[in-house]
Amino acid sequence: MPAPAASPRLEPFRLRGANFNLLVLRLLDPRIEVIVPAIADQFRRAPGFLRFAPLVIGLDDLQAAPQDIDFAGLAAELRRIEITPIGTVGGTPELRAAAQGAGLPPLRAAGGKDEEVPMAPPPAATAPAGPPPAPPLPPGTARPTMVIDHPVRAGQRIWAQGADLIINSTVNPGAEVIADGNLHVYGNLRGRAIAGGADNTEARVFALNFDPELVSIAGYYAVREGLTDAPIGKTVQVRLIGENMRFDRLG
Amino acid sequence: MAQVIVVTSGKGGVGKTTSSAAFATGLAQAGKKTVVIDFDVGLRNLDLIMGVERRVVFDIVNVITGEAKLNQALIRDKRVDTLSILPASQTRDKDALTKEGVANIIEELSKDFDYILCDSPAGIEKGALLALYFADQAIVVTNPEVSSVRDSDRILGVLQSKSKRAEEKRDPVKEHLIVTRYAPNRVEKGEMLKLEDIREILAIPLLGVIPESESVLKASNTGNPVILDDGSTAGQAYKDAVARFLGEDRPHRFIDPEKRGFLSRLFGGRAA
Repeated sequence: MPAPAASPRLEPFRLRGANFNLLVLRLLDPRIEVIVPAIADQFRRAPGFLRFAPLVIGLDDLQAAPQDIDFAGLAAELRRIEITPIGTVGGTPELRAAAQGAGLPPLRAAGGKDEEVPMAPPPAATAPAGPPPAPPLPPGTARPTMVIDHPVRAGQRIWAQGADLIINSTVNPGAEVIADGNLHVYGNLRGRAIAGGADNTEARVFALNFDPELVSIAGYYAVREGLTDAPIGKTVQVRLIGENMRFDRLG
Repeated sequence: MAQVIVVTSGKGGVGKTTSSAAFATGLAQAGKKTVVIDFDVGLRNLDLIMGVERRVVFDIVNVITGEAKLNQALIRDKRVDTLSILPASQTRDKDALTKEGVANIIEELSKDFDYILCDSPAGIEKGALLALYFADQAIVVTNPEVSSVRDSDRILGVLQSKSKRAEEKRDPVKEHLIVTRYAPNRVEKGEMLKLEDIREILAIPLLGVIPESESVLKASNTGNPVILDDGSTAGQAYKDAVARFLGEDRPHRFIDPEKRGFLSRLFGGRAA
């Protein structure tokens, strides 16, 4: 694939704003000795899930005084089970300050969902001037997408972690393409196609020329030998209806 | 700067060394200063096919370990004077090759040659990875057979991720396809993969189709690269491929089944 030649730059870095989609771990209990085993147990059932994924700790639901929570201990325990806390969201200013002291800075959710830093008492709800602000979009509606513009060859494996995957080329026999979301192949799909990686039963597979070695959605799968009734060689959409995979011709 | 070309395939026995020998000879015949390096340390073959096995004194491992100078190990071809061969070692294994050692050899050869051909061993292990690491261009050799096409596809993926150009995020390695042992009659019968099917899967430009020919075996056994045999269809096809590589536009030959005459059908004659 063409890669731009590295050109020498004069400045050593650039600072840019960017939006990220992050998971929030909302704490409902202030006790580390309760939280951490519960998380560890949850993730043992899905090994690899969230491994080293950045995580924000949500403090909104926590009814506790700052001195009751050992943020430094919590961060250390989470890192021990391979989860990377990067900051906090919500909660009282005292809680946020305590967390910041333990190296977890407060983050502000984009989209105006988070409250402003209370500098002054909130304005009294008298005479609302102008139209009310549009309701914010539910978080997580914009799913990131990974786009691949070259053929995926035998032995290559492409995984769109937490994202949709679009392949603008062919997926050859012996190749594997995996999307936690939907999977689109605008070419021949001849390798293994896996969608809905993180138990996402709503995920679908779309292929311009459907001829896979294996197709799987959220853990349900079919190998080529079992695809006798599927429209092989056609433009196809695959989705789960209950526990059955359904193959529909498109176009 | 010399162009470094790797001749590779993934699978063994598809004609890498035959193609390396033919291609290097063809480039040299076109007046290009060419050296061909055998990377198949431990299973050296290139010297046999080039007919220089009786002149090997030092080899690539001797050069890397400093036991010999590069000039002492290079063998000048007696038929084409712009062609040299750097043989592999028969007694060592591929661990004797190091990235630094190969880098030094290629850098030194770059000063004197236009083209450096690297004849890769089969597989995707150390020897093959070193042969393709420094490549600017790659000639992928494939047989019209599913496992060969699958392995070539695999090696194309490796070229895209493990070559020096990929690591340094420079322009990618330029890829060329050579299909060898192509027998149009057997393709017609459905015994071999069609050229179009191979091209569709590998999706790289086609440099040449070399027809199945008995002259290839004869050429290998007598140590004369088949490209020197003007009467051979395989030799002519390699000549076309070299010309295309150097920018000439030539139509592909030997890809359609021969119209067999009454007599040849009667006596079962075969193409030379």
